[in-house]
Amino acid sequence: MTTSQRQTRTDAAIDVIELHKYFGDNEVLKGIDFHVDNGQVVCVIGPSGSGKSTLLRCVNLLEQPTSGRIFIEGDEITDPDVDVDAIRSRIGMVFQQFNLFPHLTVLRNLTIAQQRVKKRNKEEAVEVARRNLAKVGLSEKESAYPAHLSGGQQQRAAIARALSMDPDMMMFDEPTSALDPELVGDVLGVMKDLASEGMTMMVVTHEMGFAREVGDKLVFMDGGVIVEEGNPREVLGNPQHERTRSFLSKVL
Amino acid sequence: MAMSPRKRARISRGVQYVVLTLMVVVIVLAADWATIKDKFTSPDIALAMFPEVIATALKNTLLYTACGFAFGLALGLVLALMRLSSVGPYRWMATTFIEFFRGVPALVVFLALSVGIPTAFPGYVVPGEVLGTATLALGLVGAAYMAETIRAGIQAVPKGQTEAARSLGMSGSRAMISIVIPQAFRIILPPLTNELILLTKDSSLVYLLGYTSTTVELTSFGRQALNQEKNMTPIVVISLCYLLITVPLSIVVRRMEARAGRAR
Repeated sequence: MTTSQRQTRTDAAIDVIELHKYFGDNEVLKGIDFHVDNGQVVCVIGPSGSGKSTLLRCVNLLEQPTSGRIFIEGDEITDPDVDVDAIRSRIGMVFQQFNLFPHLTVLRNLTIAQQRVKKRNKEEAVEVARRNLAKVGLSEKESAYPAHLSGGQQQRAAIARALSMDPDMMMFDEPTSALDPELVGDVLGVMKDLASEGMTMMVVTHEMGFAREVGDKLVFMDGGVIVEEGNPREVLGNPQHERTRSFLSKVL
Repeated sequence: MAMSPRKRARISRGVQYVVLTLMVVVIVLAADWATIKDKFTSPDIALAMFPEVIATALKNTLLYTACGFAFGLALGLVLALMRLSSVGPYRWMATTFIEFFRGVPALVVFLALSVGIPTAFPGYVVPGEVLGTATLALGLVGAAYMAETIRAGIQAVPKGQTEAARSLGMSGSRAMISIVIPQAFRIILPPLTNELILLTKDSSLVYLLGYTSTTVELTSFGRQALNQEKNMTPIVVISLCYLLITVPLSIVVRRMEARAGRAR
């Protein structure tokens, strides 16, 4: 089935073709074919071990795919000769564990990559950082260190850090899974705002409410394959596959 | 007759204090205080050592240690990065260097540089006179130890830090310099202080290079005075000088650790 590779969608934000990923002998992704259109919010759900985080991490090459091709806005990130760093700086990434830099203040967390990668001068970087901190409601925390923020504040700061690079798209890897339940809402609120501004988003999540309300497309993965994808309301309301039904009956 | 654990602990602690007190009493009674006063704490001999003991000997010890540590730290960082490299030969070279200079006594390194090099390469000596050789020798020995410490520190920084930096578009080396290494050095501040203190004491080996009245460091200076005066006072004075370096150093580092702890 790999003999006839389909054409690239050059107009898509993310295009994944025949992606396979092995960890040792363990095949985690078994031929993923998948795309995200510009301005679309795509949510990926599935049981743990289904490969959804690995898929997300392959898209910006934090995991090296074993085979398959991945295109970001028409540029192939899996091309061995491409400047991966340049493509990555167009993709904002938000992690489950926040991964703020603990030795830097919140403001410095937001400016360091702007200055080192985008080569912005300090004044410009600070201005962009302050605008994004205001956006996530953390203006008064700019001189705090990450350890002094709550989990929800850390995750919002991490979102602001990614936004400060002016990315064309944002990827979220279970952004609320490490948060206390009462802090989840703040982070989801920021993500909803981003979606309503038209940001292209790929979100691995367990938040079905968010997927239904904000998502344009829902992808259900299990066992390293995409079992079902489509309009979130339809997939959640009327799942076509037994595996989807059994998963949803456990989480809803 | 079962005793409660707490009562037993209290009794055993009481016994320990009594034994310690007895030991001190025995030592105090057995010592010849008149001789000690004369041979260890002679004010005349102590005063005669000033100002040279500070202006020259202490200054030189600090100078040799600081230069050796700076060179060793830089070389140690390079070796640590080589040890972590994906390029095999880099790893092997670094491992060989570390095993060699960690395994060989510092004294041998000093002799190799001062005697070995001029013998093996006639007409060539390590540049920079005593300071140059001392820096090189202390640095080579210090680097071997520090490389392993730095490597452990780099590996202790969570992988997510590198991933976050790379996903912001930083190159691997940029992420290492701006994100990983600063955090690694916070983690290894205590063991690194240890290396610095060990190096301070190793700087006494500079006597192997021969010394003059301007290049003498603390230990040689004390030994010289000891031989002249046939009196232990100079050794007491230089010991206090070493403590004058190491104790404030410990205090400064403890403060830095407390500050880094608050930021974490």
